Amino acid sequence: MSPFVLSALKYSLLLLLYFFIFRAIRATVTDLRRTGAREARPRKASAPRRAKQKPRGKGPGSVVVRDAEGRKLAARKLKGSLDVGRGESCSIRVEDSYVSQQHARLFLRDGSWLVEDLGSTNGTYLNDQRVTSPMPVRPGDLVKVGKTVLELRR
Amino acid sequence: MSHAAARPRARQGTTIALTILALVIGMGTYALTGLGKQGRVPANLALYGSLFAVLFAASLLVIRRFAPFADPAVFPTAAVLTGIGFAVIYRVRGDLAAEQFTWAAIGLAAFCLTLIVVRDHRQLDAYTYTIGLVGLALLFLPIVPGVGQVINGARLWVRIGSLQFQPSELGKVLIVVFLASYLNAKRELLRLATVKWGPFRLPQPKHLGPVLLAWGLSLVILFVEKDLGASLLFFAIFVVMLWVATARPAYLVIGALLFAAGAWFGYANLAHVQLRVDIWLHALEPANVNLFGYGQLAQGQFALATGGLVGSGLGLGIPYRIPFAWTDFIFAAIGEELGLLGTVAIILLYVTLVGRGLRAALACADGFGKLLAAGLTAAIGLQAFVIMGGVTRLIPLTGVTLPFVSYGGSSLISNFILLALLVRVSAGSARG
Repeated sequence: MSPFVLSALKYSLLLLLYFFIFRAIRATVTDLRRTGAREARPRKASAPRRAKQKPRGKGPGSVVVRDAEGRKLAARKLKGSLDVGRGESCSIRVEDSYVSQQHARLFLRDGSWLVEDLGSTNGTYLNDQRVTSPMPVRPGDLVKVGKTVLELRR
Repeated sequence: MSHAAARPRARQGTTIALTILALVIGMGTYALTGLGKQGRVPANLALYGSLFAVLFAASLLVIRRFAPFADPAVFPTAAVLTGIGFAVIYRVRGDLAAEQFTWAAIGLAAFCLTLIVVRDHRQLDAYTYTIGLVGLALLFLPIVPGVGQVINGARLWVRIGSLQFQPSELGKVLIVVFLASYLNAKRELLRLATVKWGPFRLPQPKHLGPVLLAWGLSLVILFVEKDLGASLLFFAIFVVMLWVATARPAYLVIGALLFAAGAWFGYANLAHVQLRVDIWLHALEPANVNLFGYGQLAQGQFALATGGLVGSGLGLGIPYRIPFAWTDFIFAAIGEELGLLGTVAIILLYVTLVGRGLRAALACADGFGKLLAAGLTAAIGLQAFVIMGGVTRLIPLTGVTLPFVSYGGSSLISNFILLALLVRVSAGSARG
């Protein structure tokens, strides 16, 4: 094998290696940009687009309770104010050791449904964002308490 | 949520593309090494190529099935490093290549098993002290008489029957898990900073206990096992994790001061630490060239210098002249045959791995996962830095393996388990 061919092959290999690194880093950059865009564009901004897709009925009408594996455990109509937790008094009771006694609350204010965390140990997450103050929920949103997921439906 | 639904598929496409690229790079390095070394492609190229392909494909299937939202670049990056390591080991110690492949296969099996068993990283949070005790036991196992073995001056090997291994490698992973769990639980306590000290706010002296304990333990490792690398690594990982957990830079300063005190104490009292420092400072003096240790580091330097910008070409240099070119000095062997371009690529691969790991830590929703990802990432990054810095004579050489690249079963298997945990956290953080 001539030295020239060997050198050419070596350079191709190095090129391939840098191409790999470029691809891996690009994946990171696009990922960060996506996350950044999602965080920079607050939920309100996405509302008109959603409204365009689903013109009828803005607010959620029911909630489906699913376990970590996605199995449906229960469904409730949204009415008044619903407490989520392991406690006896909760209107949505979940058997999940990661859920606090009084974990979260779904309630109606000014005509829109909101979710708030009731000082739970493991937190409440609305579409992967931690709920620190009452946040509006829409059909299709996922509220996570412990390992249990509450899916909001129209 | 069409956005969220489209994401995993795009990620998996990237993972598959990157892994195929990793396979091509690894096997390309192997083929080129054979061409340079013997003038022909290694006879078993197709065999190793298909075996690696099967192993990678199996790992991708496990990731797809058990961690569908995993980070797309973490696994392929480790695969590239493993492939290059295999080829370079074949280059400098042809007889160890088959063994290294076996370790890689077992490592990938351990990777899959870890992903299958640990479905949610928070499972590990429940066994804080069990994991911590097992980790400590592994760390100090080499001290036990009859089991521990002294190899190359350090007591870090264990022999049970015909099985010989380095328990501190797995111990490292378990200690990181323990620290993540422990520090997450005690975070608030350690954050309390009431004592003002110059520009820093310090926690109450009584809360400094864990720092001092970790410091003491790493000194014990240094004195009893004579393992400078592990000692340095453990303390550094601990300080970094403490800093991440509390967001208090004061801990970095305290850690640096304690490290300086420990280093000075070790230097004053331990002959082998003095020797390491002397080798570091005087490796290239002609009088020392044939002395043990000095000559090794000098050969490594010569190899890097010979390699220059683009290297001599795979199989065309003399990297087998460097003692331990298949373990601690593999970075110098890469430098000789692939040059600065090759070594920078290796560094960038670790940078990618560290970047992805920290990204997973940032995106993770729970404190334990954040700390776990940050700690595992610090473990890989610091270890790579310690050995690359040692070989290039930036810092005194301490013998640790170059993660995923160096020859060695304990190291490869433990690092793949570590990788699986990192992939697990990244999958969890995307899912929420």
